[in-house]
Amino acid sequence: MGSIDDVLADIADDIDSVFLFSPNGTFYERFADEERVVVVAAENTVDADTFVELPVEFTDIKDRIEFGIEGAMENNLVEAGNTVVCFGSIFSDDADTAVRVRVGEDHRSGLYELFTNSRADPSVIRDVVEVALELGRKGQKGSPVGALFVVGDAGKVMNKSRPLSYNPFEKSHVHVGDPIVNVMLKEFSRLDGAFVISDSGKIVSAYRYLEPSAEGIDIPKGLGARHMAGGAITRDTNATAIVLSESDGLVRAFKGGELILELDPEEH
Amino acid sequence: MLSVLQFVVPEWLAVISPRWWIAVGIVVVGIALGYLTMRLGRRLLIRLGIDDAVEGTAVERAAGEYGTSTVGLITKLAGYFVIVLSVFIAGTFTNIQFADLFLRAAAVFLPQLAIALLILLVGIIIGDKVEVLVSERLRGVKLPEIGVIPATARYSVLFVATLIALGQIGVATTALIVLLAAYAVALIVFTAIATQELLASGAVGVYLLLTEPYSIGDEVAVAGQRGIVQEIDLFVTRIETDGEEHIIPNRTVLRDGIVRMQ
Repeated sequence: MGSIDDVLADIADDIDSVFLFSPNGTFYERFADEERVVVVAAENTVDADTFVELPVEFTDIKDRIEFGIEGAMENNLVEAGNTVVCFGSIFSDDADTAVRVRVGEDHRSGLYELFTNSRADPSVIRDVVEVALELGRKGQKGSPVGALFVVGDAGKVMNKSRPLSYNPFEKSHVHVGDPIVNVMLKEFSRLDGAFVISDSGKIVSAYRYLEPSAEGIDIPKGLGARHMAGGAITRDTNATAIVLSESDGLVRAFKGGELILELDPEEH
Repeated sequence: MLSVLQFVVPEWLAVISPRWWIAVGIVVVGIALGYLTMRLGRRLLIRLGIDDAVEGTAVERAAGEYGTSTVGLITKLAGYFVIVLSVFIAGTFTNIQFADLFLRAAAVFLPQLAIALLILLVGIIIGDKVEVLVSERLRGVKLPEIGVIPATARYSVLFVATLIALGQIGVATTALIVLLAAYAVALIVFTAIATQELLASGAVGVYLLLTEPYSIGDEVAVAGQRGIVQEIDLFVTRIETDGEEHIIPNRTVLRDGIVRMQ
């Protein structure tokens, strides 16, 4: 037993901060004496002073921890070179995991910025990701579909694209996040082309053919024209592209021409 | 034994006059009626959905702490009123002279007091409910000062309820009514002055959203600013040029006109 205690002591040895991922009240209470506790959760249920909001429940524990650390770095709660220990739960609702992480500059993957520092409202990005995930889970009438949402900087995106057909959203005032609109988006996802969504979440257009210059865009091999277009438009504009792949069913987010986030709808 | 009892009871009855027996009977019937009022009132209020309507108000919470509920409070008030009324009616059958005048006055005053209490209670509940509703609508606004608005709404309702209740029991409320009128006028005038720009922009915004003379992505020039339309909402239009975003009130758009670049 001595060796197990030693290993656990090594993990918790000489740390700068403690990260608690979605802790329950009693678990948080146990850290009341600790100086630097950062709570990372979807909602601040324990009234923690230092709190990083999780926009989506990342099922990948690595994504979740990276998001938490990046958020803490952006808010100057930790800095590069610090060592932190993270407590989270993977299998049960109670804390069952301890991870020791050394914070480095390479943790700035842009995942936190994707949600909090994009042109569009954080809630709009979150809603679009949710719609894409749901669309990926259910597909259109059972068969897998692909979709491309370009969120934010809509004026510029509209000038860098052209209509493939009449815009079904012309003179309409629909915003993402509305349950009815999510159904509409699902119905329209069988159309070719991209959805353009404004900073405040208004659906500006469907059926858009994006015309960015795709030179020098580096996306993973095997992804198609939809991802290429989505990635490229985010380099030319300040928009964020959220792409649901028809072939592998994953939801990917691009910003600044780079792949930032990859989510599997089946796991969410 | 039986004969003794037969003998004793009439004499014991004779000591106390029959009027008293009638009075006691009325009180007993009154208590029964009061109890019935409580039971029936409770069922009626619950069927009307009052208990759901007052959910989450301060009165309901305070009542919950004392192990009752708003519905219980109102029905108890009604029940006790019936009982007290029966006591007064019973009082008229007794020959107590000193109480007579007082009872006559009280018989007029008491129902009014009960109604005033009921109005006050309903006022408090409606005030609480208004506060809950308003603060729910404003929950998205994370400002500490925003708490003033729901509180103001609540106390306004409470003030009117107090006025009606005081009027019910005949307290002179003229000064308070003047105060209420001044408050209402001030509220209307200040709201009108404070929001006239917003109202004008909002009215134009409705027109712009409905007819959409220009839409997101169009290149336009408004009030000397040339750029690409990024966003149109009820109050403002956002126009972006290289590195600059101009937020233009919608009333300016209609007043100065808009140039669409082809």
